[in-house]
Amino acid sequence: MKKALIISPVDNVATALEDIVAGDLVEARLGKKVETLEAGENISFGFKIALSDIPKGGNVLKYGEVIGKASAPINKGSLVHVHNVEGARGRGDLAKGDAKP
Amino acid sequence: MTFLGYERPDGSYGTRNYVLILPSGIIADQICNLVVGTKTMVTPMDATSGRTKDDRETITRVYAGLGQNPNVASVLLVPGGGAGGTQYPETSTERLMDEISRSGKEVEVLKNNIGDTMETIARDVKLAREMVYEASKLRRKPCPDSHLCIGVKCGNSDPTSGIAGNPVVGHVYDKLVEAGGTALFGETTEIIGAEHILAKRAVNKAVAQEILSVAHETEERAKATGQDIRTMNPVPANIKAGITTLEEKSLGAIHKAGTKPIQSVLKYAERPKGPGLHFVDNWAWTLSIFMGYAAAGAQIVLYQLGGGGLEGDAVFYQTGSTVAPLIWCSANPRTRASGGWNLDFYSGTIIEGKETIADVGERLYSTLLDTASGTMTRTETLKYTDPNEVYTRGPVF
Repeated sequence: MKKALIISPVDNVATALEDIVAGDLVEARLGKKVETLEAGENISFGFKIALSDIPKGGNVLKYGEVIGKASAPINKGSLVHVHNVEGARGRGDLAKGDAKP
Repeated sequence: MTFLGYERPDGSYGTRNYVLILPSGIIADQICNLVVGTKTMVTPMDATSGRTKDDRETITRVYAGLGQNPNVASVLLVPGGGAGGTQYPETSTERLMDEISRSGKEVEVLKNNIGDTMETIARDVKLAREMVYEASKLRRKPCPDSHLCIGVKCGNSDPTSGIAGNPVVGHVYDKLVEAGGTALFGETTEIIGAEHILAKRAVNKAVAQEILSVAHETEERAKATGQDIRTMNPVPANIKAGITTLEEKSLGAIHKAGTKPIQSVLKYAERPKGPGLHFVDNWAWTLSIFMGYAAAGAQIVLYQLGGGGLEGDAVFYQTGSTVAPLIWCSANPRTRASGGWNLDFYSGTIIEGKETIADVGERLYSTLLDTASGTMTRTETLKYTDPNEVYTRGPVF
């Protein structure tokens, strides 16, 4: 069983506290509550694992706050990182306009 | 709680007892090579040419602020050297002398400046030796921790920073503020996405609005580049270690500021008007931020390192300490393994499930007081300091 940390009850990602290999069972802990899920792919120490399916455009939540939006559908147990999440802030590359969240 | 400090004429207490040579340049460099107990800023020699008045004021604030820092026993000014060579009134020897003297400490300027660099070095070395000798007569004595002012930067952030390293620093910040001390944090780019949380902690509406304004202004500058801020911050090393967006980095970063009310928003190197927690609108760069905190009066700075994206051991990473010693902390077990003895403090026991944030925070507070009382930090055992850069806003002409 591999360990991961959930920071806030509303979060839909957990942080890997050790290197996780695809197929590993992961124990994601929030205080005394423990959620068990299977890793769909390798997730290195410090990286994020999805606790639920997140649709494209859906909010990615960590620290109880929005850290970005899914740029592709994310399955429960998958790695959540720059390949499937975009930030919403400081986006000078997007069309001009008010990009406030 | 107390630490052993050097009492200064203005009632402050130093954690060190340096003679500061200003500005940097060949004369300051040679004095620092030859005379123990001396420090200089270590910045590019002529920092003022073609800069705006605002930026020249910032540079002067850094010079004067470092001179006023409680860790400095006395100051030796080298007229005509470094930034003085441009003859802008802001950085004149007279103005620096006037501002630093207000702290009551001794400021010396070589009389009858000869004009020949080598002869000036010889005379300044002699003067610096006398100043260091005089400063050494001062003894440390117990003083309350309320006299401490500290600053923090979270460097080379990785996911251990937000979940363990920064919360431990936050514990220390809360404890120092409760004791009546002063705590500074900043890195405006790295509150974008978390500024609404900080604004709620502002002591009043005006300060809340200032927090939101500086974050907004920084975000607008980023957007004006036409680039995704993720191409600048988080830096590739953060992303390599698992941080995905700037919002995620910011939400982890603000934990270093603890939970106390934010009393004011300060400019880079601006001295806070009272104790408590203050936000500094500054630039995150290692070789700028520590000097800024020292110029604002910090007698110690904390460097909370993630390090997950580092390729070498921590000693290869920039240090940038000026007159305020730098305590390196990390919560990443791999950073500890590669950094080894170079790391002053390890907080990864939280991730290993062995200790709580509060337990580790108490230990870091003890380390802080030990360092304040004279125990060297690991980087202090080296004479090397990376060149620092004042946070100027430009443009340059």
